Amino acid sequence: MAVAPAPVVETESKQSQTRKKLALFGTPIFIITVLLATYLWISSLELDSIEMRVLNKEVLTESLMEHLYLTGISTALVILIAIPLGILVTRPSLKRATPFVLGLANAGQAIPSFGLLTIVVIWFGIGVQGVIFGLVAYSTLPILRNTMIGIQQVDKSLIKAARGMGMSTRQVLARVEMPLAVPVMLAGIRTALIINVGTATLATFFGAGGLGFVIFNGIQLNRDPVLVTGVVMVSALALSVDYLAGVIGRLASPRGL
Amino acid sequence: MDFLDYLSRSGDNLFELSLEHINLVLISMGLAILIGVPLGITAHRKTRWNPIILSGAGIMLTIPSLALLAIFVPIFGLGAPPAIAGLTLYALYPIISNTVAGLQSVSPAIVKASRGMGMGSWRRLAKVELPLAWPVIITGVRVSTQVVVGIAAIAAIVGGPGLGNEIFRGLRSLGSPGAENLVYGGTLAVVIVAYLFDAAFILIRRFTTPRGIR
Repeated sequence: MAVAPAPVVETESKQSQTRKKLALFGTPIFIITVLLATYLWISSLELDSIEMRVLNKEVLTESLMEHLYLTGISTALVILIAIPLGILVTRPSLKRATPFVLGLANAGQAIPSFGLLTIVVIWFGIGVQGVIFGLVAYSTLPILRNTMIGIQQVDKSLIKAARGMGMSTRQVLARVEMPLAVPVMLAGIRTALIINVGTATLATFFGAGGLGFVIFNGIQLNRDPVLVTGVVMVSALALSVDYLAGVIGRLASPRGL
Repeated sequence: MDFLDYLSRSGDNLFELSLEHINLVLISMGLAILIGVPLGITAHRKTRWNPIILSGAGIMLTIPSLALLAIFVPIFGLGAPPAIAGLTLYALYPIISNTVAGLQSVSPAIVKASRGMGMGSWRRLAKVELPLAWPVIITGVRVSTQVVVGIAAIAAIVGGPGLGNEIFRGLRSLGSPGAENLVYGGTLAVVIVAYLFDAAFILIRRFTTPRGIR
């Protein structure tokens, strides 16, 4: 690999720059256009009484609010559980547990969201609480994995340097390891949000509402306008959440990185 | 009724549904490879298209899976087709991004050498670049497959085939005795199918990687 890879790197960074610009401005424009087009299409239709029962301001707002509530609470719980646990498991005294936990996190990825959610709801009961437990159970492992990998990839020589400067292990964690792992943890939070927005779409099957209600109603009643409204709303929500989390993540990352 | 009773009684049914599930995943992944690898090659060669192709496929991963499957119901009706269409879109991103990464990892010296040997652009792609990028591409396919096996369980909601039907049947009869067994059985079978696919990929990767870089 002695041949200078410089031009390749340059085009690559130019590409990722275009991609970033496209994501920064293109995403909101895309979301707004699709929402507007759907709104105009639906308002141009003559809705029958079955469609009117779902496609009105009250039902749609309620479904959206339920969806936001499920996503918000479950993501907050996942952050509270998975990030401290990830830090704990990577401490030197518990290092031996790290490969075991990582292996468990990898193996757990084979469990389907639909099945896991149903099982947790069977254990904790139908309704909002059971669904929130299910969402937490499904998204904890990937976030735990992300946190652990984020802390593990901190350059060991930096930790040694900090120790050499006279910092205690706790100070090293707070002032070196954590700040350096922040981007990876933020990426983990973003992933948790996306997973939870997506999985919360299934909440309607467990009596917890959400935008999945609109989609499934459209499927069951064979009403395409209802189905499309549900699909567009939940997709726009997921893309907006992803977009906002990305922008906030970039602002919150330590400046040196 | 206890779980072992259920297994011995519905073993045949679970096996049947597992075959449907595997079939659904194979068809979707086949389509995703047929679409994704050429898109990856295009993104690698025509750098202007790179951002559009990658962000476009990335959006599919952000969209909730039920929404991605359901949006094809107005087009194809209920059944396997909307499930296949949705799963194919879901599988694209890892395949495309790994195809690009794999092709970019091919050393420029090797590309130059093959050009010096008189190979044209397409022959170089087929004989040199794709074989060298293959291990990275197949890893992308493996990642996609793992995700798709899990999401295929949702296919039952749009009338599709596979193990989701067992979970859905259990879910709808929750409260009646033994209903949870259907959910446990369906979920367990999905996990087993996922591990089978993963094992298959270890073999496929071993036997399809060119001998020179194994």
